[in-house]
Amino acid sequence: MIDKILADEVLLKAVSGGADFAEIFCELTRTNVVSLVDKKIDKINDNVISGVGIRAFYGTQTVYASTCDTSREGLLACAAKVADVISLDKKISSVNLTEKIFANIHPVAVDPIASGMGYKTDILKNACRSAESYDSLIEQAQGNLSCIERNIWIANTEGLFTFDKHTRTRMYITAIAAQNGEKQTGMCAPGRGMGLEVFDIFKPEDIGAEAARHALVNLRADYCPAGKMTVAIENGFGGVIFHEACGHSLEATCVGIGNSKMCGKLGQKIANEKVTAIDDGTIPGGWGSNNIDDEGNPTQKNILIEKGILKNYMIDRLGSRRMNMPVTGNSRRQNYTFEPTSRMTNTYIDNGPDKNEDIIKSIEYGIYAKKMGGGSVNPLTNDFNFAVIEGYIVRNGEICEPVRGASLIGNGAEILNLIDMVGQNLDRGQGMCGSVSGAVPTDVGQPLIRVSNITVGGR
Amino acid sequence: MNFSEIKKIISESAKKIGIAEYDIYYSESSETSTETLKHEISGFSSSDSIGIGFRCIVDGKFGQASCEHISKEELEMLVVKAADNAKYIESSDEAIIFKGSEHYENVPCEQFRAPTSGTLRDIALEIEDKTYKEGELVTDGTQCGAGTGVVAVHMYNSYGLELHKSAGYVYYYSCPVVSDGKETEDSVEAKNAKNFDEIDNVVKKAVKNANAKLGADSVPSGSYNVIISGKKFSEFLAEFCGCFSAKQVKLGLSKLAGKLDEKIASDIVTITDDPFSDELCGKNAFDGEGVATRTKNVIENGVLKTYFYDLAMAKHFGVEPTGNASRGYSSPVSISPYFLYLNKGDKSFDELLEIAGNGIYVTELKSFSATNAVTGDFSIESAGYLIEDGKIGKFVKSFTIAGNFFELLKNIEALSNDLQVEHSGLFRGFASPDVFVKNISVAGK
Repeated sequence: MIDKILADEVLLKAVSGGADFAEIFCELTRTNVVSLVDKKIDKINDNVISGVGIRAFYGTQTVYASTCDTSREGLLACAAKVADVISLDKKISSVNLTEKIFANIHPVAVDPIASGMGYKTDILKNACRSAESYDSLIEQAQGNLSCIERNIWIANTEGLFTFDKHTRTRMYITAIAAQNGEKQTGMCAPGRGMGLEVFDIFKPEDIGAEAARHALVNLRADYCPAGKMTVAIENGFGGVIFHEACGHSLEATCVGIGNSKMCGKLGQKIANEKVTAIDDGTIPGGWGSNNIDDEGNPTQKNILIEKGILKNYMIDRLGSRRMNMPVTGNSRRQNYTFEPTSRMTNTYIDNGPDKNEDIIKSIEYGIYAKKMGGGSVNPLTNDFNFAVIEGYIVRNGEICEPVRGASLIGNGAEILNLIDMVGQNLDRGQGMCGSVSGAVPTDVGQPLIRVSNITVGGR
Repeated sequence: MNFSEIKKIISESAKKIGIAEYDIYYSESSETSTETLKHEISGFSSSDSIGIGFRCIVDGKFGQASCEHISKEELEMLVVKAADNAKYIESSDEAIIFKGSEHYENVPCEQFRAPTSGTLRDIALEIEDKTYKEGELVTDGTQCGAGTGVVAVHMYNSYGLELHKSAGYVYYYSCPVVSDGKETEDSVEAKNAKNFDEIDNVVKKAVKNANAKLGADSVPSGSYNVIISGKKFSEFLAEFCGCFSAKQVKLGLSKLAGKLDEKIASDIVTITDDPFSDELCGKNAFDGEGVATRTKNVIENGVLKTYFYDLAMAKHFGVEPTGNASRGYSSPVSISPYFLYLNKGDKSFDELLEIAGNGIYVTELKSFSATNAVTGDFSIESAGYLIEDGKIGKFVKSFTIAGNFFELLKNIEALSNDLQVEHSGLFRGFASPDVFVKNISVAGK
């Protein structure tokens, strides 16, 4: 999409106003989304995202411009926009670009964009059929299959010139169960940084069946009670608690400007000693994985919290300047129209010392939160919330009747210390995380954990 | 390449592969924004983007594709891809390319002069300066900003229907961080508008709200009388407006299915969709399929009067389309309102407080993650002010309000006499007065 000679010319234009660093991010992304409603393929959408973002730094100040005009003139005009904002003495007068290609640790076996549409529609239909035939109370199932192929080229004034290609595939099935005029929903939405071979791991029939099972549980669930309780949060997407309660507060986006409760706490105990938390962008085929981040830094496995002690933050290039700490391969953006910033990749609480059955047995009265939905946090105060989309009452150490319609809320700094049991069935779940640089795919994860006291937003 | 050239290439490509019915949705936008931190401009960004969506009918089914890369090859590929996609579509919804409405409301595109980059920088620094001066507790970490954007949309179809709309806007915000040495809190107050006239108001509100949060505690769990602020009830409308979509009704996924002309809300509830509202930065004379838009009440004095229909759903239900097909260049046609608002009532805010007596005035809703659009259930982390003996009390946070949207509509007891607007884009928005409801479940300490 861009060659070295043109990249060199554009970078020099971008720093001509006196910037001390400039970077070009070119993107060509192809997406294909197939949707099924009411037993029929309803919509198919092919989209091509293509454009360029150019960024310059002077100290800790940034200028960013993007354009979909990828011609030489378009790129130079975009670079000129960046240069025009800065009026300082020129600091960089030459760039020596060296091509660097990073190893691909996320190989794709079945290219989802090139695959025939008939093959994809069959996979989706199998999942929905499986949901609908799961039980006579399942009224209908709907879903979509999304495939993304993202090609990025990055060049910067430090001499980096690199390219990466990344593929992601995800299926999202919703089942609707109905009885006596009452309707409830269930969902299952696995995804990976892989091609269509992901459906060898997650059989479409199993995805549909799981969505149906979930809908049936909600159909017989009553409203969740309200108040402070002990809660056991299951593995997989349960890791959203760490993502919201702590993860965002460890991003340089807020730490770098002092807007996080986690500022200045490196080396301090911030969580129960049973909590070790990791952000790992290198997991092969992980939903939140990449070979390189959106600044061209290789992704890493970063231990954020080790046995309760804060060990590291997630840091992008601007954060690195603001915090005087090295980058961690966490710079991400939705697409070229967004300036990148520090974001989570695959973030999880590691396995702990407790047996899962002991966690449930330890609860006299509380909630077993089996499946979770999205949430949000204010990193400045650490106040967070997330949804419980499948929950049960726990009475005398036993999982009892299902409950629905609850959220869990708390303060991250307090809750991290109240995670007092950590089980041993680590798994990850997939989500889209929204923040200042747009929506990016992230995995959250954990084994079964116990939070000794948290507000359950029931009724 | 301009729109005429794009049209020509696409038309020729369509003709070449035997496509007779198609439409093109083209949008062009540019945005500039600037942000401050510690009395300096910390970030400046601008973006120019173009997108083209193409939709065609092959054997009675719609196929579609979109792109941002405008070259002859890419446009030809767009047509081929859309035609190929159509072969796999099984939907029984009728595929219709619209020949045009007899009359379109005359909404002249206002001349909008976008502020220069220099003006935006000055404004952002002015907002920051005023924010710091507004309160002694305002501290570093405070961020303020200003931006501007213009969007132009062109639609063209194989029947020669050609429509155009455009809009420009500015936005600005103050996000003060305040600290009393023990606690740190923040607040955001933002405004989308045609000009920067309300900076002082935005700053005052932002700092007042941030200060109020210092020392805030939770509330005991229980059942409370609640006033939901108009801005926040607008977010409820945005979250649950899918229940008015005829497509959701057809699929059996709307609780309002089969309830036309039935009482579904309190007598004082009238909800209107107005594509031409002065509150919108851009007005809408036509929808995403080219159908003329119109203002209508969806709920009138508590009675459900209509759903929102696109062409396919209007055909399915045997009614006239309401002009509510929405579309972006890369998104398929769906159904949504333009400026959906709960009409204001007759109570002053003080009168509402008096009616509520004791309870909570909810001014912040943190996330709609724990909501279910099909059932209407919600549980939302909230914050706001205590209402004590009909007067505003201290700020409270870290509690949830939980209930059901459809029950909420039935239980609205009083409305304030002012409309508060929440924008969700240039051409769309939601608004509501303050809403008083009894007996809302609250989970707190």
